[in-house]
Amino acid sequence: MSKTPQKQGTSRQAKIQAAQKSGRSGANPIVIGTVVAIVAIIAVVAFVVLTAVNKNGGSSASGTALPPGASAMGKGLVADADVTLQPGAPTLDVYEDFQCPYCGDLEHGLGSTIESLAAQGKIRLAYHIMTFLDDNLGNDASVRAAEGAFCAAAGGKFLEYHNQVYSNQPTQEGAGWTDAQLATFASNAGLTGSALTTWKSCTAADTYAAYIASIEKQSSTDGVTGTPTVKLNGTDLAVLKTDSSGVTVMTPAELTAAVQAATKS
Amino acid sequence: MSVTEADLEVPAERHTRTLDLVGTLARLILGLVLIVAGALKVTKPGASANAVHAYQVLPYDVGTYVGYALPIVEIIVGLLLVLGLFTRVAAVLGTLLMVVFITGIGQAWARGLTIDCGCFGGGGPVNANQTKYGLEIARDVGLALCGAWLVRRPASLAGLDRLWFGS
Repeated sequence: MSKTPQKQGTSRQAKIQAAQKSGRSGANPIVIGTVVAIVAIIAVVAFVVLTAVNKNGGSSASGTALPPGASAMGKGLVADADVTLQPGAPTLDVYEDFQCPYCGDLEHGLGSTIESLAAQGKIRLAYHIMTFLDDNLGNDASVRAAEGAFCAAAGGKFLEYHNQVYSNQPTQEGAGWTDAQLATFASNAGLTGSALTTWKSCTAADTYAAYIASIEKQSSTDGVTGTPTVKLNGTDLAVLKTDSSGVTVMTPAELTAAVQAATKS
Repeated sequence: MSVTEADLEVPAERHTRTLDLVGTLARLILGLVLIVAGALKVTKPGASANAVHAYQVLPYDVGTYVGYALPIVEIIVGLLLVLGLFTRVAAVLGTLLMVVFITGIGQAWARGLTIDCGCFGGGGPVNANQTKYGLEIARDVGLALCGAWLVRRPASLAGLDRLWFGS
């Protein structure tokens, strides 16, 4: 295919070459070198700028504190850490992003069941608060809400704050929350007076920035790239079911049964 | 003799022109798709990184940088193809990109992940009934064929290679 047409096209090639006789010998190396250099410079500059912009857009990891209930960087926050677990109680890992609408569905459908199982010591409940939706939605509301929740955890009100956030999810995904809204969640969660002042200085200092980044990295490394993801003793639990009619959340009875089945007697 | 040399040359030249035109079409299809795909992602590098993470192939930090760099590479390769500049080199890169994409989507499919390819932004996990692996792979195979044509025969009409270098 390639040989014949080229041979037959020689007269045309000759014409083209003749037409460009003057430009060919001198311009080539300069043109090639210049274009390659420009392309390379554009690529490097674009990459550096994008990387820098994204670093600033995310949290700049100022604080390195661990919230109470989290044993290490990358480890989920254990709710009701002071409750004595029943023998053989399984671990329920909940991966969620405060801006994720399906996480809101999960919370409304199963939140109270999950919390009551944890309060009774029937499960060890670990929340992995992810923040990747900030990148996808182009805002910073997931990180700010997570910071608010962990600062609330420092005041002993993690679950209360968590519930406030989900009760007040914006109807439009991506609208996020104002700082004033997040502060209202804190006071509604029971942090008032000096506790609210402490919460405000905690969030202002990005106290848990490094922990928040570590959760995102560890969850993704563990294969969790979407929310909500719920794992019972490490196995994915299908808390949301999708069919032609839309998304339905597992019933409280189904969850309780699954937890019982996973409990080692 | 009824057939003159001039009569023979016309169909041959026409044949070359047709092949050149196919090359131009291949350049424009692959190049424009790459530019659009890159442009839709380049303003959201974090989301692009998340889409790469969703394939669960690369270590987290490596995936992040690949996610940042990929849209830039796509735009540059796409521009070179549309301009017809360094066509063969750009076509090799474009074809390699497509092979990587096909492999990535194929392994996600084979492993039972349920993700959007994130080819034109978006990406990440989707419901099992919302995956479009077959369609995504078919599209990328078509684009890879455009690239392969140009690797084999980079000559085309209306390109800077011919204008500047006469090739």
